[in-house]
Amino acid sequence: MLNKDKSKIKEISYAKWGYIFIAPFFIAFTIFQLIPLAQTIYYSFFEYYRSGLTIIGPTPVGLDNYKELFNSDFLKYAGNTVILWVAGFIPQIIISLLLAAWFTDVRLKIKGKQFFKVVIYMPNLIMASAFAMLFFALFSENGPVNASLVSMGILKTPFRFLASVKGTRGLVALMNFLMWFGNTTILLMAAVMGISPSLFEAAELDGCSPRQTFFRVTLPMIRPILVYVLITSMIGGLQMFDVPQILTNGKGSPDRTVTTLIMFLNNHLYSKNYGMAGAISVVLFIICAILCLLVYFNLNPTENDRKIKRRDRFKPRKEAING
Amino acid sequence: MAGITFKNVVKTYDNGVTVVPNLNLEIKDKEFVVLVGPSGCGKSTTLRMIAGLESISDGELYIGDQLMNAVAPKNRNIAMVFQNYALYPHLSVYKNMTFALELAKVPKDEMNRKVKWAAEILGLEPYLDRKPKALSGGQRQRVALGRAMVRDPEVFLLDEPLSNLDAKLRTEMRSQISKLHKRLGTTFVYVTHDQTEAMTMGDRICVMKDGIIQQFDTPQNLYDYPCNLFVAGFIGSPQMNFIDAEVKKAEGGYKLCFGEAEVTVDKDLAAYEGKTVICGIRPEDLHAEKQFFGEGNMIDAYIDLDEMMGSESYLYLKYAGQKMIARVPARYAKKAEENISLAIDAEKVHLFDKDTEKAI
Amino acid sequence: MDKKPSHARTVIAYIVLILLTFLCLFFFYILVINCTRSHQQIQAGFSFLPGSSFAKNFNSVIHDAKLPVLSGIKNSLIVSACCAILATYFSALTAYGLYAYNFKLKKPAFIFIMLILVMPTQVSAMGFLNVITKLGMINTLYPLILPSVAAPAVFYFMYSYMQSSLPLELVEAARIDGSNEFHTFNKVVIPIMKPALAVQAIFAFVQNWNNYFIPALVLQENSKRTLPILIAMLRSADFLKFDMGKVYMLITIAIVPIIIVYIALSKYIVAGVALGGVKE
Repeated sequence: MLNKDKSKIKEISYAKWGYIFIAPFFIAFTIFQLIPLAQTIYYSFFEYYRSGLTIIGPTPVGLDNYKELFNSDFLKYAGNTVILWVAGFIPQIIISLLLAAWFTDVRLKIKGKQFFKVVIYMPNLIMASAFAMLFFALFSENGPVNASLVSMGILKTPFRFLASVKGTRGLVALMNFLMWFGNTTILLMAAVMGISPSLFEAAELDGCSPRQTFFRVTLPMIRPILVYVLITSMIGGLQMFDVPQILTNGKGSPDRTVTTLIMFLNNHLYSKNYGMAGAISVVLFIICAILCLLVYFNLNPTENDRKIKRRDRFKPRKEAING
Repeated sequence: MAGITFKNVVKTYDNGVTVVPNLNLEIKDKEFVVLVGPSGCGKSTTLRMIAGLESISDGELYIGDQLMNAVAPKNRNIAMVFQNYALYPHLSVYKNMTFALELAKVPKDEMNRKVKWAAEILGLEPYLDRKPKALSGGQRQRVALGRAMVRDPEVFLLDEPLSNLDAKLRTEMRSQISKLHKRLGTTFVYVTHDQTEAMTMGDRICVMKDGIIQQFDTPQNLYDYPCNLFVAGFIGSPQMNFIDAEVKKAEGGYKLCFGEAEVTVDKDLAAYEGKTVICGIRPEDLHAEKQFFGEGNMIDAYIDLDEMMGSESYLYLKYAGQKMIARVPARYAKKAEENISLAIDAEKVHLFDKDTEKAI
Repeated sequence: MDKKPSHARTVIAYIVLILLTFLCLFFFYILVINCTRSHQQIQAGFSFLPGSSFAKNFNSVIHDAKLPVLSGIKNSLIVSACCAILATYFSALTAYGLYAYNFKLKKPAFIFIMLILVMPTQVSAMGFLNVITKLGMINTLYPLILPSVAAPAVFYFMYSYMQSSLPLELVEAARIDGSNEFHTFNKVVIPIMKPALAVQAIFAFVQNWNNYFIPALVLQENSKRTLPILIAMLRSADFLKFDMGKVYMLITIAIVPIIIVYIALSKYIVAGVALGGVKE
């Protein structure tokens, strides 16, 4: 009877505050990421570049940019990127697993764990461009590394690292390894420490050797975070730019064997060939989107039991931050 | 000062689940009302609707004579004590208590006076500069009470405030809250799932189940005249025994028959003659003392297990295929695996309809 | 029987750890040594002992007309500090919005952010340049600072932290106490989030301090450039003609402040990495 009156009674709702609080994020994201992404995709279907002082286009050309892209050295650069990433990632994951296992093994009483952790993480914070510049100076023909090797009698004449394919790629991989193995070690350690200690005790009582414990208990338990490390590292590898760019002064020398995809993109952006830059970006975007989906499902598994595990692992513990 | 009135209040969550289908409740001014029930019965939701922390889907809520549906929590003149205390961890005890006052722009000296008053009553004076982290559970609980007190609210809302304390402290805080209620003379609404807390503290108790009020009455009445099976089972510890009994006509009334027992009751059970009813007998109404023994009200039960509590003993019985608990003075009790003769206090037998579960 | 292999493993572990420590520290050791030596000394060969040209190298870097190092430091500081503040504050705000309130788009919004969690910004760089050109922000520091408002990884960290450390009862208590929603966020939530804010602020600072790709595209004037671009400029200059002492000094300037801050706060940073899980 009074229903009409009643519906006029307002209820208190805080929903609007939710929208207000998340608005800045989404506005910034839309302006600086979403619209740019849409434009990038849009222009990838146009002929649109600068030749001298005149701007050609934009004229729609359909998939021409993509055809041109795959006829260019794109695949070679993709190959470079993969080689550089793999060469850095394999030692990175092996060393990180080893260190994580050692650091968390109660029977190995390693002293100064904190010191080692601090040291191995440090390269991650170094400006990649400065790091590359440092390597360039150190490994140049008459730099200190060659000087030392010659004076120690290991080499007769200085080795021109940056003129050899293996040397240059090796240096890039070494830098990537140095910059990331500490980070990975700490992540894996956190994962291992998230495993209930009683599980290790049970394994020990069951007569597992340290090696068996590692392969049969530790590895399966930290699998989700290994997947996470792998995928984020792949995305990081796709983004590889600063190190090879500075080390080779953007040339990817020798013979563009260390030119990565982002360096390729950068060259097109510099020469203001927006159509081609767009096409490269779209391909990169598709690859990244797939990887993002993998991360998403890794972090939010559908099965309930894994969800619980996951939450625990990623839940920051206040005490740990406080000290 | 203010009473609280719910008129046809409905609470439906966004996901479509209705936790409170239609609530009508009138809490008087200065009354200590306890909302009690098993978890998920809607008691907390009801309290949070009074606080304004949950919106009201339909119906009207009045505090005093003012309609409160659309009034923000801060304007309802209420204070709330949470289960986990909800003390601001980064503020000292003093600052925790003055947080609301500062927002209300209360003058500094009045603020000091109020904090001093509350701290004195609650024995918190030595801790005013401490952070909540440095306090024990009981102290934190008192700070939470103090924070509510300094605001001079018309209504105090307490949401399971004692459930995080250990048993001894709980008993102590129980009496402290009761004293506080008398001293402040304001309306208290207290939510708990613990029937002991409800019985000892409430002026009136509102027993809820599935969002529906089962019975709203004084503790004594709830205990003596439970209106249905649920309330009868919920109030009292150990739980009331429920036994299926057949109603037969007897001279001067009706008798309830189960096993060999034939308990004559002074009730008009004409409608139930020949049918089975549920017969509720409180464990303390089963007597092992001789002076209660009589005709027909005797059972001879087998003791499955006995729990010695000191002055009395709980006997877990089997009789005529049904389980029962008796609470008898220790010196009359027997041990497990023995048989015991017990007398049923016929005057205190509660009867419930088997289908509707309502009291007869 | 059990102790011997353990002992051997300990020795191996120490050897590997010391080798890695050497790898991590050695290059920086050379860097620090070389920035104190003159060009001639460096050319003459390597030395384990520092030279005496630190001040000279420092002055020649600072006063190089072609390399605006001082303004580079200033720009880098401005960008990094602003990014750290914006990224942490707005990520906490976003996380709070999704954590404390119920609204229709809550779940889609959360899923969306989780999906773009690790999406690199490079893929939209082309459109980004277009947009900021239209907004008149090209060659200013704004396009380097403002996007920090939307930092999905920082958001995720804050959200996880709230789940473990911010009971909603506290928010409700504040509501009853008469605090409005913004006041609650600033005066109750932010203080509780301090440890998380500090850790993420450090990461955001370092990340932007080191950022090269986008600034190199956006900043065209010398006076606007940040340190990584100056280093790239140094690389593209005719290297052989360069004073090597100066080169090492510039690298030192770019790296050492971060290392000092890192060593001072290493305990928190290492703990933060372990907790974050998500970081580019």
